Amino acid sequence: MDVQGIIDFLIGWMENVDPKALVLAFSAIGAGIAMIAGIGPGIGQGFAAGKAAEAVSKNPEEGARPATIVMLLGSAVAETSGIFSLVIAVIILFANPLVNKEGVGIVLAASALGAGLSMVAGIGPGIGQGYAAGKSAEAVGKRPKLQSMIVRTMLLGQAIAQTTGIYALIVALILLFVNVLK
Amino acid sequence: MDFSNHVVTTVNLFGFELWITESMVNSWIIMGILVLAAVIIRIILQRRTLQAVPTGLQNVVETIVEMLDNFTVSTMGEKHRNFGPFYGGMFIYILLCNLSGLLPGPKYVESAGYIQFMRPPTADVAVTLALALITFFMTQGYGIKAKGVKNWAKGLTEPMWPLTPLNVIGELANPVSLSFRLFGNILGGTIIMGLYYNLPWFALVGIPAALHIYFDIFAGVLQAFIFVMLSMTFVSSAME
Repeated sequence: MDVQGIIDFLIGWMENVDPKALVLAFSAIGAGIAMIAGIGPGIGQGFAAGKAAEAVSKNPEEGARPATIVMLLGSAVAETSGIFSLVIAVIILFANPLVNKEGVGIVLAASALGAGLSMVAGIGPGIGQGYAAGKSAEAVGKRPKLQSMIVRTMLLGQAIAQTTGIYALIVALILLFVNVLK
Repeated sequence: MDFSNHVVTTVNLFGFELWITESMVNSWIIMGILVLAAVIIRIILQRRTLQAVPTGLQNVVETIVEMLDNFTVSTMGEKHRNFGPFYGGMFIYILLCNLSGLLPGPKYVESAGYIQFMRPPTADVAVTLALALITFFMTQGYGIKAKGVKNWAKGLTEPMWPLTPLNVIGELANPVSLSFRLFGNILGGTIIMGLYYNLPWFALVGIPAALHIYFDIFAGVLQAFIFVMLSMTFVSSAME
């Protein structure tokens, strides 16, 4: 089998499938893939929790409460990319704009898949923000008096670390709602 | 389901079609509330002489203003205290926009769920992009004013001249990421709340309160805070 034959074998069958069914099938895969981004917040929040526990054990009298608060705040921010993925997955599942769109079936189907794929980028911000939350919890445990200053720096850094995740969200929303690939 | 920004009416203006959207109307409502509150506070405070040791309403207003001023000073430095009123106003506006998802609002479409909440204006990219563009032009404008055109242009070629395109792209990416950060977070909350309210009634007991606390109050306050803080950081770092 030559290259052309392999491509025909892999993609050729799609021409015979109903375009709407193709979009629905790829939407299912896309929604599943989008949620892979949950790896990021999971690792990040776990790291933050571990660092906070360490900080509490080192300074249980003064640092325990501030470290816990900072850990919770930072972890809630680290959850953002997971929520973005959930939003895209939920849009694909319940409010899929591609189903009723006019166009080539395979392109629309691949748009649904691509929207899900792009959300995998959320792994990075999730881990990074969780790392920032953990280090901040550790620092606050050591110096509880500097809590507001440390929290401010942490939030600023986490907001910047979110940027690539935001870009992924933009691309996913464009793929779903804007007809760029005609 | 439909989370788009509904067009309430269209107005013809000099041959152009102007779309009056849901987020514009909601934004006007919020602006009206803010203006009304400001005027009422002003009238009440003017009626009596201001005290050196404030009590009552004066105390509350002074606390809020002082808090916002301190927020500006601690982020931008003491010499930029004059940015306080601007960023204080911006913060209050964004905060109220984000929190408006908690308020019941006017109904624009028939097919809405059981309870129609206001669609936060910040869940519209036009609103957040406008706010981010204000920051962008302030950043460049104050940068030029503080450093002079020559030094400002030279700053774009650092650390060496082949990196100029990257620096320009970096500057242009700031308003994009700034606006979509706010937009994405608020829109995400709006979509999830909208989907949740379409569940059968037994799922709507108690749980929406927790979701509102996270998606509207926590995310709303945090994103308003982050937007204003990033905007302050961009402007003050451009002036250094």
